[in-house]
Amino acid sequence: MSDHILAGRPAAGRPAAWWAMAMLIASEATLFGSFVGTYYYLRFTTRVWPPDGLPKPALAVPLVLVACLTATSVPMQLASRAARAGRLGATRLFLVVALFVQSGYFAFESNDFGEQIKHRFDITRNAYSSIYYVLLGADHAHVFVGLLFDLWLLWKLARGLTRYRVNAVQAIAWYWQAVIVLTLVVTGTLLSARA
Amino acid sequence: MAVVEAPESPAAAERLDRLEQIWRSRPGLLGWLTTTDHKRVGLLYLWTTLAFFAAGGAESLLIRTQLAQPNSHVVSPSTFDELFSMHGITMIFFFIIPMTTGAFGNYLLPLMIGARDMAFPRMNALSYWIFLASGIFLYTSLGLGMAPNAGWFDYVPLASRAFDPGRNVDFYCLGIIFNSIASTLTAAQFIVTIFKSRAPGMSLNRLPLFCYAQLAAAFGLLFALPPLSADTIFLFLDRNVGTHFFDVALGGKSLLWQHLFWIFGHPEVYILIVPAFGIATSIIPAFTQRKLVAFPLVGIAELLVVFIGFGVWAHHMFATGLPTISLVFFAAATAMVVIPSTIQVFAWCMSFVTGTPQFKTPLLFIAGFIFMFVTGGLTGIMFMAIPFDQQVTDTYFVIAHFHYIIFGAAVFPIFGGLYYWFPKVTGKLYLERPGQLSFWIVFVGTNLLFFPMHIVGLLGMPRRQYTYPDGLGWTSYNLAETIGGFLTAAGILLLLGNLVYSYRKGADAGSDPWHGPTLEWATTSPPPEYNFPVVPKVTSAYANWDRDDREEDRRRLAEGLFVLEQGHEQVEVSAVDARLSDVVPMPHESPWPPLLAASLALVFSMLLLRKFGVAGVMAVLCVLTLVGWHSREPAEQ
Repeated sequence: MSDHILAGRPAAGRPAAWWAMAMLIASEATLFGSFVGTYYYLRFTTRVWPPDGLPKPALAVPLVLVACLTATSVPMQLASRAARAGRLGATRLFLVVALFVQSGYFAFESNDFGEQIKHRFDITRNAYSSIYYVLLGADHAHVFVGLLFDLWLLWKLARGLTRYRVNAVQAIAWYWQAVIVLTLVVTGTLLSARA
Repeated sequence: MAVVEAPESPAAAERLDRLEQIWRSRPGLLGWLTTTDHKRVGLLYLWTTLAFFAAGGAESLLIRTQLAQPNSHVVSPSTFDELFSMHGITMIFFFIIPMTTGAFGNYLLPLMIGARDMAFPRMNALSYWIFLASGIFLYTSLGLGMAPNAGWFDYVPLASRAFDPGRNVDFYCLGIIFNSIASTLTAAQFIVTIFKSRAPGMSLNRLPLFCYAQLAAAFGLLFALPPLSADTIFLFLDRNVGTHFFDVALGGKSLLWQHLFWIFGHPEVYILIVPAFGIATSIIPAFTQRKLVAFPLVGIAELLVVFIGFGVWAHHMFATGLPTISLVFFAAATAMVVIPSTIQVFAWCMSFVTGTPQFKTPLLFIAGFIFMFVTGGLTGIMFMAIPFDQQVTDTYFVIAHFHYIIFGAAVFPIFGGLYYWFPKVTGKLYLERPGQLSFWIVFVGTNLLFFPMHIVGLLGMPRRQYTYPDGLGWTSYNLAETIGGFLTAAGILLLLGNLVYSYRKGADAGSDPWHGPTLEWATTSPPPEYNFPVVPKVTSAYANWDRDDREEDRRRLAEGLFVLEQGHEQVEVSAVDARLSDVVPMPHESPWPPLLAASLALVFSMLLLRKFGVAGVMAVLCVLTLVGWHSREPAEQ
C-alpha cells in the first residue's frame, strides 16, 4: 500500500462503499415513492377505499411486527460501530441478534402474505388489491435481501475483519436503517386505509 | 506536454515501468471480457452504441421511405408500428444515454478528474454487460417478429393485453427494466466517482463543466428511472399476473401510466442533452482558447435544468383532460426551464464572441448544436401556450420539436465530441476538410429532414401515421424530409469513414493537439492503463492550462511523490473540498460482471416466458454469482 502519503492527515469523509449504499437507497426510496404515490393516486380517485367492500387492513399485528423490526436498528448500528472499532466478536454478536429478530419478522410476514392472498382477497381482485400486495411484497423482498446480506456478512466475518468487511458492515447497517424506514412508510400507507 | 513522455530520470522511468506492470491488462479477447479499465469499458460502450445507432438509423430510414410518397406500402402497417417504436426506444435507451454517459462519461470522467479508474471498476463493467444483454434481449424481439409496437411511450390501454395480446409489450416492459439496471449502476458509479475519486485539490468549484454535466445526468437517471421501472412493473403485472393498475373497469387508471411515464420522461430529455452540454463546454474553451464565460453559473445551470425537469412532466399531458389549474402550474414550471437553458446559451455564445474561435470540425458541430438547440427551444416555449399545445399534440410539429432537441442538442455534440477526443483515444489526427464537409452535410440534412415536419404538423399530419392520401398538401414536405434523412445518413457515414481512415492512416496527434483545458490532455494519447504517472496537482478548473502544476507533476514523478507505485491503488478525497482522505486498493480484472449480466438475462428471459419459478431459480444463480464476485477482496488480488 502507498498509504504513507496519508501520514499526518486527518481522516476526511466517508468511504466510497457508504456512498454506494446511499445511491442504492436513493434509487430504492424513489421506487417506493412511486409505489406509495400510486397508492394515493388510486385512493384519491376512488370513491370508497378500500373498494368493493374489501376488508380494511388489520392494525395490531402489523404495528407490533414493525416495532420489532425497528428495534433491530439498534444492534445493526452497534455492529457497525463495533466493526469500525475493530471488535470482531461484538460485531458478530450484534449481527446475530439483529438477524434473529429480522428472520422472525420475515418468517411471520411472508407466511401472513400467503395467508392473506389465500383467505382475504387475492392480487387480481381490483386496483386496490394490486397496489396493496405490490407494496407489501416489495417491502418483504427488501427485508429478504437484507437477510441475505446478513448471512453473507457473518460468513465473511468468520475469517476476521478487513477494511473491506468493515465497510461492508457499515454499508449493510445503513441498508437496514433504510429498509426499516421503508417498512414504516409502507405500513403507514397501507394502514391509512383504516382512516 | 504530457508527464509520461520522456521521463527525465532513470528513477522516474523505473516508476513508470512499475506502474505499467501493476496496471497491465490481460491480452486478447479474455482481456476485453474481464476488463475493468474505464477506458476499455468506454470503448465497448462506444462500439455497442454505434451498432444500436445504426439499427435505430436504419429503422428511421425505413420509416422515411414508407412516408416519402402518399399511399405507399413499402412496409406493412404492423411492421411500421414496430419500426417507430423500436426507433424511439433504441435512440433513447440504447444510443444517446449509453453514448453520452457510457462511452464519453466512462472514457473521460476519470481522466478529467485525475483518477486512475472509476470508484467501482467491476460495477462499471457490470453496467456495460447488462446494457449489452438488455439490448440483445430487446432486439431478439425484432428477430422473432414480436418487437414493441405501441410506441416508445407505450400508452395504455393500447399497450394492455386486451389490445396488444402478443409478447411485444412484454419485451418492452422487461427490456426497459433490464436496461434501467445498467443506467442506474452507471449513475451511482458516476456520482460516487465524482465525489470521491477526484485528484486532491479539485474542490467542487474546480470540477470541469463536463463533469458537472455528467453529475447532473447521473442524478437525473438515479431519480427518474425508478418511476419508469414502477410503471413497467405495473404493466407487466397487469398483462401477465392479472393485476388492474390500468384497468378502469376495476378501479385502475389509464392516466396513471402517463403520470409515471412522464415523471421519468421529461427529466429524461435533460438526461439526454445535459451530457451533450458538457461536451460543448469542453470543446468551446479548447477552440476559443478562453475559459468559458460564467463558469459557476453554467455549472449550476447544468444541475438546475435537470432539477426543474422533474417538475414539468404534465406538460406532455395537456390534451388528457387534466384540471386547468394543473395545466397552468405545469405551463409555468415549463417556463422556468428556460432560465438555466438560456444562461448556458448566453455563456456559450459570449465565449465565442470574446474568445478567438477556430472553426475546426468539433467547434462547427457545437455551433450547429447551439443553432438547433435554440430553434428546438423556441418551439418548446410555444408548447407552454396550452391551446396551441392541445392543437398540435400528436402531430408532426411535436416530432419536429423534439428531433431538433434530441438530434440537434444531443447528437450534434456527440459528433463534435467524437472528432474532438478522437486524437486522445487513438493518438491520430482526423482529416479536417472531410470532417468539415461531414458537418455541413449533416447540418443541411437534418434541417431538411426536421424543419418541414413543423409545417406538415401545422397542416394536421398526425405522428405515427402509416400512410396518407394524396392531395392534402403533405407530399412534397414528406419527400423533402426523406431526402434530408438520407442526406444526414450520408453525412454520418462520411464522419465514420473519416474516423476509420484516420485511425489507420492519420497523422500522429501528440498528447495535446488542441491545447485542451482539462486533465485528459495532460497525459499521452492514447492514455496509459494507469492514466497518470502521478496523482495530478489541481488548483483550477482548467488544470491543463496551469503550467506550474504540470511542472509540479513532473517533479512529483522524479521524486516518487503521489505515484502510488506499491499497488493497484487510487486515492479517495473528501466530497466537497477534495482533501486527500485515503488510498484504496482497486479490483483487478474480473469474470464476474459478464457472468452476472448473463444470469440476469436468464431471469428476464424466464419472466418473458412466464416461467416465474424458473426465473426464481435463475435469481438464485445471480445471488451465487454475487457471492463469487465478493469471494476475493480487492486487497487480496
